Amino acid sequence: MTVTEDRPAYKWVGTRPIRHDGYEKVIGKARFAADLDLPGQLHAAYLRSPHGHARIVSIDTTTAAGMPGVKAVVTGADFPDLDPADPNFDVSVNVMARSTVLYNGHALAAVAATTRAEAAAAVAAIQVEYELLPVVLTLDESMADGAPLVNENNVTKFVESDGPSNLATVNVLERGDVDAAFPAADLVVEREFDTAYVHQGYIEPHACVVDVGPNGKADVWASSQGHFMVRSLTAAILGWEPSRIKVTPAEIGGGFGGKTTIYLEPVAARLSEMSGRPVKLVMTREEVLRATGPAPASKSRVKIAASNDGELIAIECWFGYAVGCANDFAGLVGAMSVASYKFPNLKLEAIGALTNTPKTAAYRAPSAPQAAFAIESVIDELAQALDMDPIDLRLRNAVEEGDPTAMGMPHPRIGFVECLEALRDSDHYQSPVPDGAARGVATGFWFNIGEQSSATVNLNEDGTATVITGSPDIGGSRASMALMAAEELGIDVYRITPVVADTESVGFTDVTEGSRATFSTGMAVVNACRGLIEELRARAATILGVEQDAVTWIEGSAVADGHDPLPLSAITAKAKSTGGPLTVTGSLNAAGAGPSFAAHCCDLTVDEETGQVAILRYTAVQDAGTAIHPSYVEGQLQGGSVQGIGWALNEEYVFDDEGSLENASFLDYRIPVASDLPMIDTIVVEVPNPAHPYGVRGVGETGIVPPMATIANAVARATSTRMTSLPMSPPRILAALEAS
Amino acid sequence: MSDHRRFTDGEAVVESEGATVGEVIADLEQRYPGLGEALTHGASAGVNGEIYAEPEYLEVDTDTDIYFVAPLTGG
Repeated sequence: MTVTEDRPAYKWVGTRPIRHDGYEKVIGKARFAADLDLPGQLHAAYLRSPHGHARIVSIDTTTAAGMPGVKAVVTGADFPDLDPADPNFDVSVNVMARSTVLYNGHALAAVAATTRAEAAAAVAAIQVEYELLPVVLTLDESMADGAPLVNENNVTKFVESDGPSNLATVNVLERGDVDAAFPAADLVVEREFDTAYVHQGYIEPHACVVDVGPNGKADVWASSQGHFMVRSLTAAILGWEPSRIKVTPAEIGGGFGGKTTIYLEPVAARLSEMSGRPVKLVMTREEVLRATGPAPASKSRVKIAASNDGELIAIECWFGYAVGCANDFAGLVGAMSVASYKFPNLKLEAIGALTNTPKTAAYRAPSAPQAAFAIESVIDELAQALDMDPIDLRLRNAVEEGDPTAMGMPHPRIGFVECLEALRDSDHYQSPVPDGAARGVATGFWFNIGEQSSATVNLNEDGTATVITGSPDIGGSRASMALMAAEELGIDVYRITPVVADTESVGFTDVTEGSRATFSTGMAVVNACRGLIEELRARAATILGVEQDAVTWIEGSAVADGHDPLPLSAITAKAKSTGGPLTVTGSLNAAGAGPSFAAHCCDLTVDEETGQVAILRYTAVQDAGTAIHPSYVEGQLQGGSVQGIGWALNEEYVFDDEGSLENASFLDYRIPVASDLPMIDTIVVEVPNPAHPYGVRGVGETGIVPPMATIANAVARATSTRMTSLPMSPPRILAALEAS
Repeated sequence: MSDHRRFTDGEAVVESEGATVGEVIADLEQRYPGLGEALTHGASAGVNGEIYAEPEYLEVDTDTDIYFVAPLTGG
């Protein structure tokens, strides 16, 4: 842990209590969405397109509807057609195809039956007539002159558009004069890169149970990164008022951005409404990989100019993202965010282009890892050419408070320099590179998001507290919320019960994205606790017979001159006689989410006969602002690193020429497992975020940004061959070595 | 961001009036037809070092720099 600034001495914040939800998860009592079964429940199954792109001429469900056990069948005709300009249009079409299937695996019908086997049998009996359309699978195909339209409803965003197009978005950021800067530079390095589609790889498949009652109200149990998001999107796709739907959050077995949208709930709701029975819908692993959002594939061109003494002078980049079958524009901001250096001259262009592949979704710091792979590889090549230490080159040019972001506005207080210094001074970096190995370094950045959160804190008659929030516990938020509440109220963290409540039991809370839960929902908890302390001082004043201003709240007790400290439990015991229940709600639309920077270092070997890369040592350094529960922060850094290592070395979607995914299982889609890797060492830097009462910066995303370049830079130094294509799988490394 | 300069004759930095970001955008629409509409439906705003997804009622003063960027999201 590297603490860079003086801060108050906390009693609870920064400690590592056993997680509040640990016991139930260890004994198997915690309920994930697929664990729930209701009386009379039906099981549903999908019919998915076997074609990469086709018009649906007809669907005949007559035979299927009459098969044993079948209670309901839905197709696109059972859902309202949203206006293509509606922000939920693409999600609606992805949930259930209307006139056209846009990718192999696109859902176009679903059946609810007494058993899953009966549902599957009925699905097989649905008759569909397709008119096959051209399939576009790659960025180059999509952008080629005269390319077939991937999605006739797509209109390019952010530029003047004159009709349907394969171009999703265009974003350009500029400052200075790159055209003048490059010819005047001492050194220019320019490279092209590409990366494959990769999946978030969460272990828990998407699942839900929906029960629509005779009164038309729906109870939904679902795994997601935000149950209010599930309510909003489900209502929009069904054409319902959101208040018809109550969503109870199940435990979540990983999301990483991939569960910031929905796939199942409107389908299960319509089937339940039609059948009058609860409906359970659980994806198989194959369905998860074929039909839920991977991260975009990408191509990029990066050109950077430097002076002979290591000043970075200009950067010009083009990033292209293959975003799948529907417009996904927002992630392109990630590409705009990666320029972490003081370039006086900058031009970044990022585009998204549609392909007949699954609709992409966010994946930790969406679109930044692809861009960072390219930029940080070129930075490393510059360091080699200048014969500079790669950390020294970065330190020479690293952005600090007040320097402009790529988007123009100045950085707030940030910890990029502190991260680089912590890595430079680490045992790992100060140790010699092992014989036969090579070392790589790279950095990453993510801006983070605030958004809306709510929390209610109830004090119980025994002096314990219940902290109720609307953020699913994805990365340890129960423990983090309890720690902040314990610090505020001055009571033991185990006297606090953190609860994730349903959509009718807590105030609106935005989806957990942008590493926002500990930052934003934590602020809601702190606000509620501070409101409670005011109320506790007033109640104590009543009990003690003094003015409220004479009462101070110190370490869990009301303190007034001339009186013994009055502990919280003594006040809560007299709640009824002093004014009633002690409960306060905090809610906000948080601003000031502090950006988080990271610096990674890897030692590895490359077997030049097999192309196999072996990771020997890996260290991840990241600015957490303040680590509320350091173990969870370290886990985020380790998780992001491991996913990035998978992205770097093995993971990729493999399609045949018709867009059928050929590796739709974890046997063939190779994510790293524990035996592949050493322990990921972590160094948590703490440069407090001044916008948060405890200095929190979100940490969930930045950790996946540096690994690809970190590994590529080590491979380049091990083999004298610059890998520009991901994944760096053994066949690709062998091919590159042979080509060099 | 993007090609919003098409509304401003190529200018990247323009002046506008208003007591809130919403009023500034409305003023931009008056000065550069189409720009306000584009910003309303397709941008987040960076104001005083912080990014806001829905900044309509955010108060600004004469010294405030407003940076319009593509809508932000995360994983």
